[in-house]
Amino acid sequence: MSEDRARAEILARVRHASVGQSAKDIAQELATLDTGPPPVPKTSDLCCAFFAQVLRNGGTLDMAADRSTAVKAVANYLLANFRSSKIVASGDPRLAAFPWREAGVLPRFGTARSGDAAALSFARLAVAETGAIVTYTGRNNAAGHNLLAESHIVLLDLGDLYPTLEDAWAQIHHDLHHQGRPRGINFIAGPSSTADVEAQLVLGAHGPRRWHIIALGDVPESTLNTARRLAGQADQSAE
Amino acid sequence: MKQTSADFSEQSVAALSDTERVKRRDALGLFMPLGRDAAVDDYGDFATLRNNLKKVRQHTRSNLAHYLTQFEAEAVRNGNHVHFARDGDEMNSVVLSLCQQHHAKRIAKGKSMVTEETGLNKHLQSAGLQVMETDLGEYIIQQDGETPSHIVGPALHKSLAEITSLFRDKHDLGERQLDTASDVVTEARGILREHFLQADVGIIGANALIAETGYTMLVTNEGNGDLCANLPPVLIICTTLERILPRSRDSATLQRLLVRSATGQSQTCYTSFYSGPRRETDTDGPIATHIVLLDNRRSEILASDYHEILDCIRCGACLNHCPIYVGVGGHAYGWVYPGPMGSVLTPLLTSLESSEALPNACTTCGRCAEVCPANIPLPDLLRDLRHDEISERITPRRWRRGLRLHAWLLRYPHLYQALSGIVISVLARIGGRRGRFQRLPLASGWTDLRDFPAPQGKTFMQQYRSQQKKAQRE
Repeated sequence: MSEDRARAEILARVRHASVGQSAKDIAQELATLDTGPPPVPKTSDLCCAFFAQVLRNGGTLDMAADRSTAVKAVANYLLANFRSSKIVASGDPRLAAFPWREAGVLPRFGTARSGDAAALSFARLAVAETGAIVTYTGRNNAAGHNLLAESHIVLLDLGDLYPTLEDAWAQIHHDLHHQGRPRGINFIAGPSSTADVEAQLVLGAHGPRRWHIIALGDVPESTLNTARRLAGQADQSAE
Repeated sequence: MKQTSADFSEQSVAALSDTERVKRRDALGLFMPLGRDAAVDDYGDFATLRNNLKKVRQHTRSNLAHYLTQFEAEAVRNGNHVHFARDGDEMNSVVLSLCQQHHAKRIAKGKSMVTEETGLNKHLQSAGLQVMETDLGEYIIQQDGETPSHIVGPALHKSLAEITSLFRDKHDLGERQLDTASDVVTEARGILREHFLQADVGIIGANALIAETGYTMLVTNEGNGDLCANLPPVLIICTTLERILPRSRDSATLQRLLVRSATGQSQTCYTSFYSGPRRETDTDGPIATHIVLLDNRRSEILASDYHEILDCIRCGACLNHCPIYVGVGGHAYGWVYPGPMGSVLTPLLTSLESSEALPNACTTCGRCAEVCPANIPLPDLLRDLRHDEISERITPRRWRRGLRLHAWLLRYPHLYQALSGIVISVLARIGGRRGRFQRLPLASGWTDLRDFPAPQGKTFMQQYRSQQKKAQRE
């Protein structure tokens, strides 16, 4: 009862301070209000812009033209970082269709638990502006899956890459309209980090210590090197 | 949280005597603005971005009742329980009662200035609950029984040595190393991971509430807020009613401004939107979710001339750019919100009497307004609070008399110029040879700490007139 009174009192006070426009007028006024503008892109090449931002965010990258190459990239990553072939793959049906055996990867389908070395997700979409990938919580990708393993590997179909946050939200709203509202919409842009101790950046705060993107699509080899230059990293083609 | 804003001056003197911390604040005051400026310069049209958020915030504030009820309806539709709290005590009671309903013993808490404002931890702890702060900075200060010194980096006042010594004291380290910042992070990660997994309730704040969908927005780097939001079986989101944005895409504008202004990043690691409890087909997530909307005088501020302070997005840029904040640090302000935004908000959320010093802790240099991503005219609001202090007779009588005399003199420019000319020439004659005064009557506040430079013999107006005459002759 006290909560009902609190609600009524607060709303009455807020209403008193509000202009008192009709819902229609409010909607009309809102429609005139812009968002953005987004930041000026460093390159007109969408993939390159995304790659550069991923690298700036402390992530690492592989490119894969097809599923077999992607599986090999996962195998190489696991071997290099964990001397292992095990990974926990999310429940995304697209992941089940990958030829894991070709590269000797042993996926366990489900949700990563605390102590797992690597978790694999399939991004719903990604944003070039911020270098973030987006997952929805649900059967295809449990919330804990993004957070509990030491490394988070994310496959991204480059056809799902959007230039700006506004473009991403338009697609997300389309999904919400057709598939219902997921419990969580997670924009992830890098390994977890903190600068709470003397403002020194440390990767691996409470979530994954490493964040690796495998971009699926037909992209020229030079894109990654250009992205590295844009992100201020050494061009590996010159080595 | 106990307020000691009335002791601002004494607390400032104490803060300035700790030379190590003064050095650390000076360094932060230098490189935090550099990081923000680089990110803003890199952006492109940041000014239009700020203006666009301002327009959306103004529109939302003017129609807050509409958007608040829309958010409530959508949040309930998403399966949340929405609670309203008139003040801090009411929020604390609602949260405790929810914890008790869910038979909770262990609470994992994400960073939330709102719960600092209401003193939630103490309230829950006094009822026997174990409350663990999980943001690294908040965890550090909780272990040391301190309060945040900064709204974004709550433990930035502490050195690595202080933190390692604290952890050695509080943790059973065994063989674990603790020499670097990375060691500290690993140590806290290990301890807190267990706590996340065992917690009965997660409590977090919200950076925004999206009216059209009923989602709450959470912006973090560490991922602790997301672990609090996803692992425990119950989630309580403590926030305030002015956090509302009409549309999801308005969060894009907010996000772009917030991260660049707060840390100089172009994107934080985690930007999450949560709609409610786990769905039927979900394999994890909380079973029950509650959103507690705190008023605590915000509806009064909304109706007042200070409503623009409600546009604050808690980025901390005004703190990092404020010469007073950088000089004395956050603890001197004596409450939850320090720096320019705190000096406006504290008197409005508590009382002008108890925070009389804060609006005066401002040089009106204007840097805060220059960098505020929400375009809040902070120096104007601080000046208006000073006016209120005079009109409500909160300013000491001696000051009021002095100001009245000054105001009267200013109305008669010839008299003012004549009198100031006499004073200046007397001071120049007495102090001219040494060039400075070590003591001056009625100015001990200045001369106790530094010498007062002796005037050069003529006032600005006298020099201006003689220049004019000279020019006419030539």
